[in-house]
Amino acid sequence: MPALAIEVRGVRRVYSSKKAPIVALDGIDLEVPTGEFFGLLGPNGAGKTTLIKILTTLLSPSSGTASVFGFDVEKDTKKIRRIMNMVAGGEQSGYGILSVREQLWMFTQFYGLAGAEGWRRVDELIEAVGLAEQRLQRVSTLSTGQRQKMNLARGLLNDPWILFLDEPTLGLDVAAARSLRELIVEWRAAVPGRTILLTTHYMAEADELCERIAIVDHGRILAIGSPDELKRRVQRESIFRIELDRLEGGAQALGRLPGVVSATAAAGNEADTDRQSVVMNLVLEDDGALGRVVGDLADRGSHILGLRKSEPTLEDVFVELVGRGFDEAGTDEPGPSAEAIA
Amino acid sequence: MAATMDLVGRAGAGPREAAAWSRRQVLMTNLRSIRGRAYPRVIGLVREPSWVLFEILLPFLGTSAFVFVYRALDAPPQYVGFVVLGGALTAFWLNVIWMMANQLYWEKSQGNLELYFAAPMHFMAILFGMAVGGMVMSSTRAATVLLIAGTVYGVAFSVDQWALLLGVFVLTLGALYGLGMVLASLFLVWGREAWHMGQMLTEPVYFVSGLNFPVARLGFVGALSVAVIPLATGLDAMRQLAFSDAAFPIGTPPPVVEVAILGAMTVISILGARWMLATMERRARRDGRLSVRWQ
Amino acid sequence: MTAMAGPAATGIDGARFDPSRTEGRGLADTLRSFKVAVLLGWKLEANWTDPFLFFIYSVAKPLSSALILVVMLEVIGGPAGKAFRPFVIVGSALWAFVLNGVAGLAWSVLEDRERYRVLKYVYVSPADFLTVLVGRGVARIGVGLAGVVITLMVGVIALGVPFDIGRVDWPMLVAVSALGLASIIGLGLLMAGVCIQTRQESWSYPEAFAGALFLVTGAVFPLVVLPAPVQIVGLLTPLTWWIAGTRQALFPGGPGSVGGPGSAFASTFGHPDPSAGEIVLALLVTGTVVTLAAVAVFRLSDRRAKRTGLYDRTTGS
Repeated sequence: MPALAIEVRGVRRVYSSKKAPIVALDGIDLEVPTGEFFGLLGPNGAGKTTLIKILTTLLSPSSGTASVFGFDVEKDTKKIRRIMNMVAGGEQSGYGILSVREQLWMFTQFYGLAGAEGWRRVDELIEAVGLAEQRLQRVSTLSTGQRQKMNLARGLLNDPWILFLDEPTLGLDVAAARSLRELIVEWRAAVPGRTILLTTHYMAEADELCERIAIVDHGRILAIGSPDELKRRVQRESIFRIELDRLEGGAQALGRLPGVVSATAAAGNEADTDRQSVVMNLVLEDDGALGRVVGDLADRGSHILGLRKSEPTLEDVFVELVGRGFDEAGTDEPGPSAEAIA
Repeated sequence: MAATMDLVGRAGAGPREAAAWSRRQVLMTNLRSIRGRAYPRVIGLVREPSWVLFEILLPFLGTSAFVFVYRALDAPPQYVGFVVLGGALTAFWLNVIWMMANQLYWEKSQGNLELYFAAPMHFMAILFGMAVGGMVMSSTRAATVLLIAGTVYGVAFSVDQWALLLGVFVLTLGALYGLGMVLASLFLVWGREAWHMGQMLTEPVYFVSGLNFPVARLGFVGALSVAVIPLATGLDAMRQLAFSDAAFPIGTPPPVVEVAILGAMTVISILGARWMLATMERRARRDGRLSVRWQ
Repeated sequence: MTAMAGPAATGIDGARFDPSRTEGRGLADTLRSFKVAVLLGWKLEANWTDPFLFFIYSVAKPLSSALILVVMLEVIGGPAGKAFRPFVIVGSALWAFVLNGVAGLAWSVLEDRERYRVLKYVYVSPADFLTVLVGRGVARIGVGLAGVVITLMVGVIALGVPFDIGRVDWPMLVAVSALGLASIIGLGLLMAGVCIQTRQESWSYPEAFAGALFLVTGAVFPLVVLPAPVQIVGLLTPLTWWIAGTRQALFPGGPGSVGGPGSAFASTFGHPDPSAGEIVLALLVTGTVVTLAAVAVFRLSDRRAKRTGLYDRTTGS
């Protein structure tokens, strides 16, 4: 089995527009090992979908090279199409006049499954994604969540070695999104070597699913690593939230202890007059300073009611890398308004 | 759940081995794709029976209007047959324009096009599938129109060369749907203008194809139509063969020559469609238009 | 609502909830919706800046239809063919109104639902859906007008249709045009109601319906050549009277399409041809009945579409 499922070298993609050319991808380099669950995380317009379109052979790069399991996306399109599939969020494809079962069977034919084998595969997948009750229902009558489950089943019909998921939980409610994520995780785990490339702008989703993540913005990869590695990049100090029954000397007393960078009352604590406790945010130089704080509090007669270490989120990582939050970053993915610059 | 996912798993072969298909696998995939794409069209006939009224009975009444024009003029009975045959072939032409030529544009709007391109079959298989499904629909309509008209209006066919007539019919379908495949690629590039092109290809083409009269009456325009429009060629050849006892205006080639023209049209249009599709896909991938709706 | 941010915070000038807006303004709202729908339909369809589109809709289609019939007459030859020529040219020219009004209106449903996917948004807007559709239909008829005029002009100038503007019966022309075009809109609504229920491929349905009407309305041949029961169906169709009235108004004294010796009209009413008054009255009655029936069918279709969720659905095969 090849070591790399995806290899991207210096890929640029430029769309022309009436005002000025739009650079959707600006020299991307990426390697995804076979079997990995890899995520592309970034706001709308970051270039995630453009990269997926290039890898799924739907779009040519303006420059650079990309390959899937060693097959070049420009020269070996047919071979790539035999072993990959893709599922996009909010997908409305298919024919409304067909039932779920028929719709999926039609797609099995495009992947060369024999008629009876196609029906068998369809029935298995319908069962697997939990659409058994809707199997004979017309596609046009499915709910958004059901439709997306059907799309996932479609994406698995040819048992792909690599599955491209472009915002697969877009528009789904919490339960439907969770169910879809579980299906994806189980599918990948069932056979070694199955690889997934997920694009999402839901950070919790990327954090939960992906072994490694690339944070993308304005067509560039800003950082790559496991969620923990990425978070560690912004975690230079230890942050704790501590709840006490009382605190003599106030926050200043704690702030003067060695190893304590700062000690402040948690937001809202002062205003809450009914509360019979004190909640503090402690920023320590490292975890080792916590022992001294606990000892000092015991000397002061304070009882610790609760203690929690605050972890940085991927959003913190994004803010650190980009200098702004996700909400401020969103623009639509650039698309071709006229002719592209090849 | 996990057990099911295991079932569809494929332990052993790696991705590179799985991508190496034999010629037989490629062929079978393309044949199955034709079947797959034809399926919704054929099943659609059963699902929505309203088409029997709107695609068979009402068009039959529309065709009948021209029958009564000839009756009002006390025209020879063969002319009624000309109209009926024209009405039957119109079914195929309309199907080619609206359900072949315009179809890829629709597929793009519905988000199907990128899934087709991302699948491993040759795109021609999709077009063939659309054509097969369309032919089933249109043949049903054409046969019904011929049957009802033959019964109601007493059209008397006079056929000397059945084999040639069948050959002309098959080649006409080949040339018509081949043209539909070429137009499908063109219309995809033209986007919304495709709709207007479809309009352009109805009444004006009916006229120059001699829908209800022998096309030879149009002189040079008629001869040109026979040379380039499969509807005109097929209609003229089938009229000559189905009403061999009718006196025809001189000016169009004999059926055998028209068979050769239809054969050439079929080959050229299918090869043309293949080339157009490859060009269109290359351009679309370069410009990023495979998945952009409404353009 | 008390916690709602003010204009400065929202960036929307005066974005405060006004309960009176839910009441609507009755006729004023309807007229405004109608006007907007007409303008929208006109902008969508009447792209006169594109000479190619102008050529297709205003010249190529209606003229080709007329020429098919003209050649059919020429093929047969003889004096009957010559006498028939103005008859078929006028009938096929007027048919451009029917195709645009009936098919165009129904197509706007399919186009908005399947192509632009905005039908649901139009439906939930405060504008009355039926009013919007009627507005779109009126715009389509406006587009058809150019085709009718050009085909008639070609007929008069190049194909020997005898026309004397001084002999035109203007009051009758205005009366039958108003009533006839209203009936066409009614039939368009009927087909729109059908197309709400059917799948994407029903593009051909409205044209097939119009084609079937072609048989019974005396557009291109006198009704008398049809079997008597079919003639009766024609007499119950407003388009028959509209075409007969328009012919009589534009070409007084020319051959009529409704009556004639041995016709169903003659045997029913005791005289061979209808008078101008009878034509207008028949058009008024049949037009009213058909329009009311069309609105009823449309409302039924609308109710079913809401029940089964057809407005927010794309089909296709």
